[in-house]
Amino acid sequence: MPEKIINASYDALVIGGGIAGGEAALNLANNGFKVLIVEKDLSIGGKMILLSKVFPTLDCSACITTPKVSEISRHKDITIFTESEVKYIVKTGEKSFNAQVIRNPRYVITEDCTGCQLCEQACPVIVSDQYQYNLVGRKAAFIPFSIASPRVAAIDIENCTLCGACEKVCPTKCIDFSQEIQEYDLEIKTVVIATGFKLFDPLLIPRYGYGIYKNIITSMQMERQLAPTRPFNTILRPGDGKVPDRIAYVLCTGSRDVTVGNPICSQICCMYSIKQAQLLMGALPMADVTIYYINIRSFGKGFEEFYDQAKGMGVNFVKGKIGKIREKDNGDLIMRYEDINENVVKEAEHDMVVLSVGVLPNTDSASLFTDGELKLDPFSFVFQSDPLASPAKTSIEGVFVAGTATGPMDIPDSILSAGAASSEAMSYLIRK
Amino acid sequence: MEIEKGKTYKYLREKREISQAAKDNLKQFIKIKKSILDALQESDLTIDQLTQKLSIPKHEVVFYLMSLVKYGYVQTGAVDDMDSYFSYKLKK
Repeated sequence: MPEKIINASYDALVIGGGIAGGEAALNLANNGFKVLIVEKDLSIGGKMILLSKVFPTLDCSACITTPKVSEISRHKDITIFTESEVKYIVKTGEKSFNAQVIRNPRYVITEDCTGCQLCEQACPVIVSDQYQYNLVGRKAAFIPFSIASPRVAAIDIENCTLCGACEKVCPTKCIDFSQEIQEYDLEIKTVVIATGFKLFDPLLIPRYGYGIYKNIITSMQMERQLAPTRPFNTILRPGDGKVPDRIAYVLCTGSRDVTVGNPICSQICCMYSIKQAQLLMGALPMADVTIYYINIRSFGKGFEEFYDQAKGMGVNFVKGKIGKIREKDNGDLIMRYEDINENVVKEAEHDMVVLSVGVLPNTDSASLFTDGELKLDPFSFVFQSDPLASPAKTSIEGVFVAGTATGPMDIPDSILSAGAASSEAMSYLIRK
Repeated sequence: MEIEKGKTYKYLREKREISQAAKDNLKQFIKIKKSILDALQESDLTIDQLTQKLSIPKHEVVFYLMSLVKYGYVQTGAVDDMDSYFSYKLKK
């Protein structure tokens, strides 16, 4: 338990340090408000910082995110708590909230760490690297990923054997196993919820065989394989290290499917799959890429042209619903599907299958408010009480919502939503 | 216990028991790492060849081998005639 509670005050508490939370924090801080970002992960940047490229422009995702994250990290009016969680928030009056925040120990003095990675080299432990979606290992003393912010080591205490190897090689003596949980008691004037979304777990659809057949991966695992900081030297099957020739995408995995409790469209899966298909054709020019879809929803600016571009590059689009996937002895996969256009059941063989997993609500923020209910919509995203006139407004006055916490959306819409949330928060703060 | 800078792991060792899972995981990795590096000492090998030598599942060989590539013990060698499988060699 923490020895003492630290008191502090901020104008705005932003919960979540992804692209929406970061944008909202930056807007608020650029207008002179003091902001605290509370991020549960070891780095800010959310999911976007781990993407390869963005659609439909194919701009490098890291190249967009890194300067933004750097600006957020260095802003004089923004304080960032990583590996931290908000325990609860109480509304204590007009423009007044009390928030209890827990800061978990990183076991590294962040100010002293130079990111030299000597501790990482010395650490003898290997566990699955969650930032590479378990495709490769990482050490127990590790830098989360090369463009992490802060780019500072952390100790995975659950897997650490306390051998001391990291501490012995650290040139700045910044590793500190005596760190403990810190508890903060904060006075806040407004709250912005930017807790993002969760990805659908394909283990919930056993007939697809994810987790059993090793050459079936998720779209985030493929995203990592396509990123410049990828886990392998090229695109490889995790089951046997083969360079795949025939790659299939299964759209709507966990979206538009009442049987898994998520009846709505995730809005991004069609386009990110088309993006990955185009990138794959660049990385593996001889590969055949097939996308199995129910409907292609190319609703945004330039999306239809992006879809046409993929068809022009030779991506094969099959309007089909997947029944079952099974594995051959050589690791190849047989997909049994209903060809919707021909109304017949067919089978096709592929080397590797990518499940385009959908967007699910992150309901963590719903239980934070101890007096006053933070309402959720029928799909468990944060309820927008006035979506047309005041899209960031929630059921609690002074609490605003940004990005995919309100529902599935792409990156530009998340940033727009964060702009709305910060504007409404500022308007609330200056209102007499 | 007094906390000595640079040896703080001793302080936490007094306070916290290391889980059996963490100990087992370390033992397993040391064993597999040694067997992969020993096998590659003799010649460059593909994942299929390593699997036959080590008698562990292919996907585990991929995971550990790629981790050894990441941390600079092993490097990727040539690809076969079908451009399907790479061989791997010790990094010297």
